[in-house]
Amino acid sequence: MGLQPPVYYIKSEYIETDTGNKVSRRATIAGPQNIILGGKTIIASGAIIRGDLRRTGTGHAVVISLGRYCLIGEGCVVRPPYKTYRGNFNYYPMKIGDHVHIGANSVVEAATIGSHVEIGKNCIIGKFTIIKDCAKIADNTVLMPNSVVPALAYCFGSPGQFVEDLPESTQEIVESETKAYYNRFQALES
Amino acid sequence: MSAAPVPPPPNLPSSSASFHPLHTLYFCEECDAVRCNRCVAIEVSGYYCPNCLFEVPSASVRAERNRWDSAEVGITFEKPTGLAQQLQKFEDSAPEFLEFERLKDFFEPLVRATSSSHGPGNTSHSTHVNALTTAASSALARDIPGVSKGSKDDLPVYRARVEVSGASGLGAGGDGDADIMRHLESPADVSGLEQRWLSSWAEPLHARELKPIRIPLHSRLTKRCPACRHILIKPEQKAQSVRYKIKLVAANYLPAISVNLPISQTTRKSMSIAQKEDDGSTGKSTMIAGKTYPFQLSMTNPLYDPIQVRLAVQRQQLSAADEVGPGSNVEADNAKLRRPPFAVTLPSTAFSVAAFAEAWEYEDDEEMFGVDDDELLVRTGNGASPSKERSARGKVKTVGVLEKKANTTVIGGEVVLSRDGRGDVKFNMLVSYTYRSDEPQDDNEGDPKARSTAKAVPEMKTFSFYTVVNLGMIVPKEDLTSAANAMEM
Repeated sequence: MGLQPPVYYIKSEYIETDTGNKVSRRATIAGPQNIILGGKTIIASGAIIRGDLRRTGTGHAVVISLGRYCLIGEGCVVRPPYKTYRGNFNYYPMKIGDHVHIGANSVVEAATIGSHVEIGKNCIIGKFTIIKDCAKIADNTVLMPNSVVPALAYCFGSPGQFVEDLPESTQEIVESETKAYYNRFQALES
Repeated sequence: MSAAPVPPPPNLPSSSASFHPLHTLYFCEECDAVRCNRCVAIEVSGYYCPNCLFEVPSASVRAERNRWDSAEVGITFEKPTGLAQQLQKFEDSAPEFLEFERLKDFFEPLVRATSSSHGPGNTSHSTHVNALTTAASSALARDIPGVSKGSKDDLPVYRARVEVSGASGLGAGGDGDADIMRHLESPADVSGLEQRWLSSWAEPLHARELKPIRIPLHSRLTKRCPACRHILIKPEQKAQSVRYKIKLVAANYLPAISVNLPISQTTRKSMSIAQKEDDGSTGKSTMIAGKTYPFQLSMTNPLYDPIQVRLAVQRQQLSAADEVGPGSNVEADNAKLRRPPFAVTLPSTAFSVAAFAEAWEYEDDEEMFGVDDDELLVRTGNGASPSKERSARGKVKTVGVLEKKANTTVIGGEVVLSRDGRGDVKFNMLVSYTYRSDEPQDDNEGDPKARSTAKAVPEMKTFSFYTVVNLGMIVPKEDLTSAANAMEM
C-alpha cells in the first residue's frame, strides 16, 4: 500500500478471468488447454507461452503451470524444456510457483521455478534450470541449462553466478510487492 | 532515543555505511535495538552444495573438505563418487597443503590459549566463508582476530617449511615460465588468472595441469545479537526452506516509510527505512532550483498497537563540501555556500498511525477501509491521489496528515529549494514513535475505574531511529533544457 501510481492498461486489451487472471489479447497463448494459471496472474502483451509443446503420448498433460500473483512481462517467451532421452525426443513440463515476476523480454525454459522468485528483464533461463524459492535473477542474466539456483540466492551475470544471499525477509517483501503490483494494474476504459 | 548516535550527513559517502534498507535489519527484543548484518554474530547452521543442493553434514564438511567439480583432465577415478577423497592422496603431499597443516599446528594451540582468556566476546567475522577456512576447524577461523588483538608480543616465530622468497621458490616462475610462454601456441594453454587467483599457493601455469577444484559449499547462518547473544535468525533444518524458526526482523517493529514526490512521474519506491537505511531508489526525480515542492511520506505501522509518530529533520552541519557537488563550477561567494540548498517543512505535531490488523492483509480491495473523517485533518490539493474526491472541498494544504488508511498514514511535507541549490535533496530524519508497551499492567482487571486510569496513563514506550529521505535531485535552472531533453529519451 505504497504511494506508487497505478499501472493502467486499456480494458479492451486484456481478458480477465473469474479467478482474476489478466491475459493480454496481444499475448500468444499456444495450447491453452495445457496451461494452468493460479489466479491473479498477469500475462502482458507480446508474451508467448507455449502450452502446445507437450509430452508425446495420449491423454491430458499439463505443460506449464503458473501460481498466483505471477507476472509474465512484455515480450517474454515461456516454453517447456526438451531433451532426447533414450533416443526419444520429448518436452517436459514446467512448474512456476506463486508470486513470481518475470521481467520483459526474458526467455524461460526452466524445469521448476519456486515461489517468490524475481527474474529480471532480458534474462535467459536455460533448459531444465531449477530455481528455488525467493531467489532473484538480475536483469540480463543468462543461466546455463541444467543450472540450479539455491533458495534466497541473488544471481547475476552471463553465465549467471551466485552473488550474495538475500535478506531473510525476502519472502514477505516479494509477496507484498507482487500483490501491490496486481492491485495497481488497473483497467482504463476507452 | 538518546542512545541513538547522530548519523553523518546523508550527502557524505560515509553515510551509506550507517544506513541500511529496513528489510535487511534485525531487531533484538531483549536489547530493544535495531541490529544489522554487519554487527550480528553469525554461526553456521548447515552446509549445502550450491550445485546439487545436497545438504552436507557438518562432520563430513570437516573430514572431506568440501566437494569436487569434475572436469576433463588426465585423472582417472576408480569410482564415480567421493572424488574428493580419491584426489586427496595427491593433495596431501602437495607442498602448500603441508604448509597449511603446519600453520594450523602452529596456530591452533595459540588460538586455544588466547580464546580461553578472551572469552566469548570476540564476535568479529567475515560472511564470506572461504573454502579453506570452512574446511579448517571453525574455531580456527573464528578466533584468528583474537590472536592479532591479543598478546602479539608473546608469539613465537613461525618458520615456514619451504623458503618462498627468491626465484627458486614455489610459484615464483622464473626462466622456466618464460620458456613456456615462448613456446605457447594458444592463450588457452595458460591457466587464467581466475583459475589461479583463488587457490592458496602455486597453481600450474599450464591449463592442462590444473586439477578439478572443489566448489565451496554455501551455508545457512544463525544470527545473534552482538550484545545479548539472543538469536535473531535461526533457519529451519532444511537448507532450501525459506522459513525460519526464529526471525526477528526490524520490519516487524519499525514503521515502514516510503516517499513520493507527486510532481514527477517516477515514483521512487524509496526505501523502507530504519535506523540504518540506504537509498535504494533507482529512478531519480528531478526538481527545479528555486521552486517549492510538496511531497508525501507514508508510514505503515507493523505493530498491533497504534503508534504516535513524531518527525524531525536533522539539522545539517553545513560545510562547503556539503552542497557543492564535484565538478560544479560555483563561483558564488562563501555566504551563498553557507546557505542550505533546501529547507524541509514537516508537520511538527505528533500524528497517529493505526494498528496493524491481520484482516487488512487479506482484503485486496481498497474501498473497504473506513477513513476516519474526523481525523482527516488536511486534504491534499495537488490531486496526487485520484482516488480521493474529497480534496475538492476543504482547504488546500500540503503540510500535515493527508490520509489515513488501515495501518498507513500519509503525511505531507514541503521542500523549498534555494535558487542556486544543487545536488541531491537528501536529509536525515529522526523518527520517534510511542506505543503502549506489552508489559502487563497490575491486577486492576476487576476495577473499571482503575482500568480507565491505567488506560489514560498507559505504559508508553518510545523508540526512535534515523532515516535518510531522498527526494531527488535539484536541476539548476540553466540546465533545464538539457534535463528536459534527457527526460524525453
